[in-house]
Amino acid sequence: MQNVLTYLSIVLTAFFMQVEAQTTSTEVSEPTKYQQGMQKAFKIWQEDKSWEAANMFERIATAETDKWLPPYYVAQINVINSFTEKDAAKLKAQLDKAQNFINDATAISKGNPELLVLQAQLYTAWIVFDGQQYGMTYSPKAAALYNQALAIAPENPRMILAKAEWDIGSAKYFNQTIDTYCKDLQRAIELFATFKPEGEFYPTYGEERAKQIVAESCK
Amino acid sequence: MKVSVVFFLIILFPFSFFAQSKISGIVTDKKGVPIFGANVYLTGTYDGTTSDQNGNWTFETTETGVQTLTVSYVSFETFTMIDDVSKLKNLKVVLRDDVNSLETVTISAGSFSAGDNSKISVLKPMDIVTTASAVGDFVGALQTLPGTTTVAEDGRLFVRGGDAGETQIFIDGIRVFTPYSPTTNNIPTRGRYSPFLFDGITFSTGGYSAEYGQALSSVLLLNTIDEPVQEKTNIAIMSVGGGVGHTEKWDNSSLSLNTSYINLAPYIAVLPDRNTWEKPFETASGEAVLRQKIGDGLLKVYGAFDSSNFELTQEDINQAEGLYFKLNNKNFYTNASYSEKLNKGWSIFGGGSYTYANTKVNIDKAHIKDVENSAHLKLKLNKRFSNYFKLNFGVEQFLTDFDEKYNASDFSANIGFKNNVSAFFTEADIIFSRKLALKLGVRGEYSELFKEVTFSPRASFAFKTGKNSQLSLAYGDFFQQPDNEILKFTTDVEAQHTQHYILNYQYAANNRIFRAELYRKQYNKLVTYNETIPDVNSLFNNTGNGYAQGLDVFWRDNESIKNVDYWVSYSYLDTERKYKDYPIKATPNFANTHNLSVVAKYWIDDWKSQIGFSYQYGSGRTYTDLNSPGFLQKKTRDYNSVSLNWAYLLSQQKILYFSINNAFAFKNVNGYQYANTPDANGNFARRKLLPAADQFFFVGFFWTISEDGKNNQLDNL
Repeated sequence: MQNVLTYLSIVLTAFFMQVEAQTTSTEVSEPTKYQQGMQKAFKIWQEDKSWEAANMFERIATAETDKWLPPYYVAQINVINSFTEKDAAKLKAQLDKAQNFINDATAISKGNPELLVLQAQLYTAWIVFDGQQYGMTYSPKAAALYNQALAIAPENPRMILAKAEWDIGSAKYFNQTIDTYCKDLQRAIELFATFKPEGEFYPTYGEERAKQIVAESCK
Repeated sequence: MKVSVVFFLIILFPFSFFAQSKISGIVTDKKGVPIFGANVYLTGTYDGTTSDQNGNWTFETTETGVQTLTVSYVSFETFTMIDDVSKLKNLKVVLRDDVNSLETVTISAGSFSAGDNSKISVLKPMDIVTTASAVGDFVGALQTLPGTTTVAEDGRLFVRGGDAGETQIFIDGIRVFTPYSPTTNNIPTRGRYSPFLFDGITFSTGGYSAEYGQALSSVLLLNTIDEPVQEKTNIAIMSVGGGVGHTEKWDNSSLSLNTSYINLAPYIAVLPDRNTWEKPFETASGEAVLRQKIGDGLLKVYGAFDSSNFELTQEDINQAEGLYFKLNNKNFYTNASYSEKLNKGWSIFGGGSYTYANTKVNIDKAHIKDVENSAHLKLKLNKRFSNYFKLNFGVEQFLTDFDEKYNASDFSANIGFKNNVSAFFTEADIIFSRKLALKLGVRGEYSELFKEVTFSPRASFAFKTGKNSQLSLAYGDFFQQPDNEILKFTTDVEAQHTQHYILNYQYAANNRIFRAELYRKQYNKLVTYNETIPDVNSLFNNTGNGYAQGLDVFWRDNESIKNVDYWVSYSYLDTERKYKDYPIKATPNFANTHNLSVVAKYWIDDWKSQIGFSYQYGSGRTYTDLNSPGFLQKKTRDYNSVSLNWAYLLSQQKILYFSINNAFAFKNVNGYQYANTPDANGNFARRKLLPAADQFFFVGFFWTISEDGKNNQLDNL
């Protein structure tokens, strides 16, 4: 069973490793301090200095205590970087930190599907690290979170993609048909075409990934 | 006029109004090694930066006056200082190690934990049930750990020279009074509770916390799941019975139900064993866990009921027609606990349990009916002063009311007792640094029955010897009331007493764990009596004593061989005691010198199968040979058993499971029964005490139905 999870997780890692390209706002009005800060953080992130970007997001999070996106991105960078971490002590420290920021963000924005998916990704990082030890406990938790996120936002292509990708991994392992998940992905791609994030700096990435999986797996 | 004052000030001090202040410094760890990547900022502002490779940082701010400077870096404690911005220059910041880290020393002497996020877990949750020899019984899995003795015909836990009654079991911190289904000679018992409902198990073979008392040798702590992951239904169809479980979830609560029915009649019809069964073993059981969130608190209510019966005639050397035995047992256990994190580092736990056990036994013509009503109440507070100091204290009360009615043709009696014990405990956890930790506690108990007060100090200490290794020391005093079998005849005794001294070395890295533990256990005030089978007229005393000492070694490796996870446990035990009716100090028949367990699991990806192997070895156990002088002077032959299992995933949610215990059919002898009277030549005849069957076969099909279609029962097998 653990191998299923390792397999799954590796597939998922590829997804997370791609730094999200965040388009900056094109609003006409003078950018606020928050907007400037967030834009700067994304710029640093794109320059491949993810830890520095995480630090910037953390600073914004302490200044803007009613915004969930800064702690969301602090947690996300910690989670993404954990996928390649081999030192258990360091991994635990990073994921504990990510968990704290997910908790902070959840306190600000309850029932947020993006945060549920991020929580599932955090569990996946543990599974990737040691599938045998953590797979049994965390994989049903992750699966439940993907379901929950999709139930909250059934038309959000990011949620459809996250769940479909998780499902495809395990279906492939058991030589089961992935047709329904491919249909889900097609639907996600269609929805991405008109996808408008709910607000500024909301995560948007996913369209390319969905196309990539369809090209690789759904023939 | 105000304007001009401001204007004047601006002219005078242009710098402080318009220019930015520069904040700078260096950040290092305790050893002076620069920290690269630390986040340095003024809290609540956007101003800050990341330290460079030399630990240096500089940033500018337009903020003025008193500000909070924060320096944070993962796996270090966050540093803050409050000062005027103008003074935040050329600072030297030293970050302290965060002791909530995996690298922090843990107090490990004596205990094994199985769980996900415990720092070093010797067993993983699914090991409890995928160990080949265990056949789904969590006690069976624990018997592969060092410190336990192979007593195959009993099934209970025998720890470090202690008898089975010296181990106590707790569910969610609350005592279980009757953890095992009662059975008779030579038929091993099983734990009553299914492994389904637990997600954390700590097995301590000595030196445990002051929170736990009334156990001379060992405690087993089981924790029920706080929050189930999803709704699901489990169906099990087995060669010996079946079971259905269901979990239902709501917003703030959940309910899990689990029922099972076991009947060995078909199995024994196909594969008869050495007993003559009038009615093979049959048991029906149900368990339920309700979890309810109340604000920040969690209420858990656990209830278990089971009813079992069997009837058989066993071979007996003194009775040509055999010994007739019939048992009917009804057992109800309920346990409720409430825990909540309060403000300022306080947390509270309160709980209680109630046990009702009704056992009717017929031995030949005698009828014995035992009724036990027991309860345990506990209240515990925990205060976390800092990461470095935590205090735990509480009170508890044990209540037992035991009655026995004995009826035989020539004799009848009603006996019983009430045994109430009150206790308090307090314990402090002191973490000096990542390298050094200390736990100090004391427990006081008052027995209403004996009018006796006892104090048990407990201490353990752990020191990190390297990145992945540590040494621990533990000492403790432990008291336990004599068990029901004594108290029903006399209450004019005292608590029995042990002292534990433990030295533990542990190395854990890269999915490999090595542990070695040396221990010495001193027994005092053990109950003695003057007849082989005691009764109300026997003389009872607390003059017994003894010792147990030895070495336990454990090695687990999940890294060296691909897809193979294995562990090896070895225990060396040297023990002697004088208790019960022993004429001299001797090694009891439940203790042996060498015990070895090898457990391996091999995952075959192409077959979607897990193959399990388990080998148990126990050197010979003592028995008294009536045909030569002495007491417990002889030893049986060594015990050997190899068990195999195979779990095959038919699909994500359907599993087929096979197992064989003692695959090579080793002929094991548990001991000998001697005739009461010698024959014409003055020789006592004897017979071998053999297991009811040399081998046991099991086939099961497990099906999980859940919303996501992925969950399965592999972790429940």
